Amino acid sequence: MFHRFVAATALAGIVTALLLVAPTAAQTRKWTVPRTADGQPDLQGFWNNTTYITLERPKGVTTEFYTREEALQMMKRAADEEAEQTEPGTIADVHYDFTQFGLDKSQSPLALNLRTSLIVDPPDGKLPPLTDEGRRRAAARAEARKRMGALTDAVQNQSLMVRCILMDRNGPPMLAGAYNNNYQILQTAGTVMILVEMLHDPRIIPLGARPQLPQQVRQLEGSSRGRWEGDTLVIETANFTDKTAFQGSSENMRLTERFTRTSEDTITYRFTVDDPATWTRPWSAEVLWKKAIGPLFEHACHEGNRGLYNTLAGARAEEKRAAEKTPK
Amino acid sequence: MRTTFAVIAGVGLLLTTVPMQAHHAFSAEFDISKQLKLQGTLTKWEMINPHSWFHIDVKTPDGKVEPWLIEGGSPNQLIRLGVTKKTLAVGVEFLVEGYQARDGTNKAVGRNFVFADGRSLFLGGSAPAAGATEGK
Amino acid sequence: MPGQLRPALVATIGLVTVLAVVSPAAGQARGYRAPRTADGKPNFNGVWQAITEAYWDVEAHAAAAGAVLELGASNAVPGGLGIIEGAIPYKPDALAKKKENYENRLTLDPEIKCYLPGVPRATYMPYPFQFIQTPTYIMMVHTYARAVRTIYMTDHKDAPADSWMGWSNGHWEGETLVVDTTGFLDTTWFDRAGNFHSDALHVVERFTATSPDHLLYEATIEDPNVFTRPWKISMPIYRRLEKNAQLMEFNCIPFVEDLIYGHLRK
Repeated sequence: MFHRFVAATALAGIVTALLLVAPTAAQTRKWTVPRTADGQPDLQGFWNNTTYITLERPKGVTTEFYTREEALQMMKRAADEEAEQTEPGTIADVHYDFTQFGLDKSQSPLALNLRTSLIVDPPDGKLPPLTDEGRRRAAARAEARKRMGALTDAVQNQSLMVRCILMDRNGPPMLAGAYNNNYQILQTAGTVMILVEMLHDPRIIPLGARPQLPQQVRQLEGSSRGRWEGDTLVIETANFTDKTAFQGSSENMRLTERFTRTSEDTITYRFTVDDPATWTRPWSAEVLWKKAIGPLFEHACHEGNRGLYNTLAGARAEEKRAAEKTPK
Repeated sequence: MRTTFAVIAGVGLLLTTVPMQAHHAFSAEFDISKQLKLQGTLTKWEMINPHSWFHIDVKTPDGKVEPWLIEGGSPNQLIRLGVTKKTLAVGVEFLVEGYQARDGTNKAVGRNFVFADGRSLFLGGSAPAAGATEGK
Repeated sequence: MPGQLRPALVATIGLVTVLAVVSPAAGQARGYRAPRTADGKPNFNGVWQAITEAYWDVEAHAAAAGAVLELGASNAVPGGLGIIEGAIPYKPDALAKKKENYENRLTLDPEIKCYLPGVPRATYMPYPFQFIQTPTYIMMVHTYARAVRTIYMTDHKDAPADSWMGWSNGHWEGETLVVDTTGFLDTTWFDRAGNFHSDALHVVERFTATSPDHLLYEATIEDPNVFTRPWKISMPIYRRLEKNAQLMEFNCIPFVEDLIYGHLRK
């Protein structure tokens, strides 16, 4: 009851603010992006990419955009669901209440985005078809996962997220998760740094014509190089490993991210995935990042990962108890 | 347009993307059949990630004191709202509803944290604004 | 003659002046003026690294066997002159704990588990780090465990909560970046020898450019729970001069999971 009140109030506040500001594609007053002391477009500050929009267009939705009213209704409905008390004794109830810690989406800064999918190309808002190789690789990965056994059999069976190694917020591409979808962007003359709150992860992107890492050197977050195209920051990333498999991608995925500050409090983030080993054509998605408040408090995830330890220990304890009960 | 609008009603359910993995991990750590209600006084709030931990002393019916460790949410957003390590005073009393750890120890996930008068510890309902201290 | 200096005296004064500029005494204001950022501050941007054996033991020490038999000489402890004058001024109880840490370093050293290194240990880990410098924030990004320090240059606050890398407030004093850090957890060490602190740790660091490719690093360490008085460390920091010097990714968590969770495998 209380939580619904809070979420509804928070969302009402956001909705009111959005209606007053009326961010439409055609700006009535020309806004120009401020410049850093080095003369670059200024993307600096704290940003949040929380969204209710899914990567792919939902079934049955045929338009590229919702109307304002449809989008706001959808967000309100989602916020209400977030705030609803979960039913005791259900799996969903075995969790702390996000809203009590301000971690639900409706209490995050949210840019009003009327899109019906994050994917903007192909125009149907869906991932392109897989290549034969992409299909084979997906099947092989599914098989391998089955052979690994239960999630609680070994730490390596858990996801990279649960192990605090890599989260969707890190990517790249950087996509929001359930909460703490915050970033800090800093710029110097020759470098852009994006500090991702989750995992306190520093992306350092050198600007200018500097060669990529050698082909055989692969990193979880790849290797990134940046440049300015007019007022847009373009980051090219390659040298991925086969461990991250973004949406089923291969290690030879090439990612292009584009950041354009489109208003005082919004960055338009657009990325293109080029992976001919997996998809029949490149595909692109767009997310709006909203100005947020700092700080990004230290996210020492691995250091504090007691939940993972408890989960594995709990599974072993239950097996032991079950074995002791079983007559020999 | 009409088709699109009608479908949105159903689509709303798809859009709350709290990842299933997160829920699964919790029900693997805590026992859905071991619901509990604890009343205790705070000895320490570890404001750490990925989840914070409340150390509380719970008085048992026979007058003993049992320390419990309760898992809560990441403190990062609360910090942005002005909560600090001084916000919850040592000794403050509150109630926790939750589920006990599968490993059988005095650990639980705190489904709901409230003061005796029903106000949430931090956010929700008629809670005091984040940053207000309890029993300075 | 009155009003005129003797040539020899003039020459001596000239020579002394030249020497004073070329070889400034340690601890005094440097004669070197670093290039400036667009906002007029000494520019520390770039990739740097400490070259010292302090990451093994901040005190002066002789060479010694490593803790892992199979690693032989490659994990043996090299001798080092130390970065502190004399010994760390432990209280008697604390000294006993340090010795216990050393005996059990294989299980207790947080570095082995890929845990964040704390301050000042992060500065002299044997891997490069990078300064990302803006007027409001100076970031120190470390290769080891991708540790990040945010140095707040304006709007100084107290730490909202304790952390592994502490809460750093910085300001400029001429050529020197002064960083005042508190808000530490007690979970980090100063080196691999078990030198430790409590959550009352307070570190004040001074970074001063002494040439285009050198910084002088000085830090005062204070912790009334552990030490009888504050103590100081000092070392040069060197710029990584390779073309395209950069930090490589060092996500060490996968390397330590079997160490931490292996005994919980089914």
